Amino acid sequence: MNLSRPDRAEALAAEYVLGTLRGRARARFERALDTDRALGDAVRSWEERLLPLAEALTPVAPPDRVWRAIQARLQTARTPATSFWSSMSVWRGLALASLAVVVVLATLLLRPTAERGEGAVIAVLATKDAKASLVASADRFGRYLTIKAIERIDVPADRSLQLWMLPAGGNPQSLGVIETTTLARVALSAPADQALRNIPALAVSLEPRGGSPTGLPTGPVLYSGPVQRTY
Amino acid sequence: MALDPGKQLERNARLKELLARTALSDQKAFAELYRLTSAHLYAVALRILREAPAAEEALQESFVNVWHHARSYVAAKSQPLTWLTSIVRNRCLDQLRRREVATVTLDDEEEGLDVATEDPTPLDMLLLGADARAVGACVEALEASQKQAIALAFFQGLSHGELARHLRQPLGTVKSWIRRGLERLRTCLDAAGAGR
Repeated sequence: MNLSRPDRAEALAAEYVLGTLRGRARARFERALDTDRALGDAVRSWEERLLPLAEALTPVAPPDRVWRAIQARLQTARTPATSFWSSMSVWRGLALASLAVVVVLATLLLRPTAERGEGAVIAVLATKDAKASLVASADRFGRYLTIKAIERIDVPADRSLQLWMLPAGGNPQSLGVIETTTLARVALSAPADQALRNIPALAVSLEPRGGSPTGLPTGPVLYSGPVQRTY
Repeated sequence: MALDPGKQLERNARLKELLARTALSDQKAFAELYRLTSAHLYAVALRILREAPAAEEALQESFVNVWHHARSYVAAKSQPLTWLTSIVRNRCLDQLRRREVATVTLDDEEEGLDVATEDPTPLDMLLLGADARAVGACVEALEASQKQAIALAFFQGLSHGELARHLRQPLGTVKSWIRRGLERLRTCLDAAGAGR
């Protein structure tokens, strides 16, 4: 492809935009576009000339699933800061009514050790649409948190679920990667009532296998919920 | 989306703002951008790819691209809808290219080449679109054969070979119709001060 002659470059740019430049010639032209600024300008001029013609087409509304698929694709690619805190606002908006349901549910699912009368710390983690999915619980003076999946959760082989404490006004702190196929346990740095004292909520995010490489959530928050105390 | 010039300016300003906010990862702006442009862009993809699943995929890929590359729009200096249309068209033409590579050995002539059966025809649309941009005179100035070849290539994504088969003309003839038609269009549009 000889692009050194301006008239040739111009003609190829026109056919590129029209769509008749095809096959390997198109691929070669695109590679040349990456480095050749004049060629890029020629393409842009042709786009401005030809593409407005497309406005004559009668619009056709795409099916809703296209937008849903776009959103799903972006969920997994989003940057930590925005995705995390925007997801967090979701559980804050949960109605009190659903919270009540959730606490009852949590009590039912509590492991027997938590019923010794000394009190427990419980968090029911729900999806964005308020579907309770995981229960995290600990004895008030226990040194570990038990996590139980309410229903089967399938995690892709190259991903892990990671549990986080969400301190009021601070960065999320990792409690570790959790398995959902069995009862998961994560160790706490202190008895639960102390370790979770200033933690209003817990959340689980989808991370690369083995957990977030950055120490902060990088993937979408799948589940979150407020920390409740029964003492 | 053929709008009067005032509405068009207003729409372009709005789309520019939405693209700028999308570049800052504003999800609401991105959703609004999709709401305002997806039906137009889907129609573009549907025409070229002719199958809904392929067009849906192209639209999806394009918007994922827009989300990630909205920042580069600022530098592109194009009209927002032109920029979006170019992303969708290039994605569609890429798909056609992959299909061509896959079927190069069993090129089955007219089959699957069901064009120009829907209303309005590509030619009608070329004129309609031209009206919308007040360059009707330039398109009108093209010879009928040039007009038809350009319309089929632009709206239906036909290659030179497909055009030759569809119009039952030698490849060389079709190529020169396209080349001369584009040259005339450019001369005329540039003289009219359009196409900027």
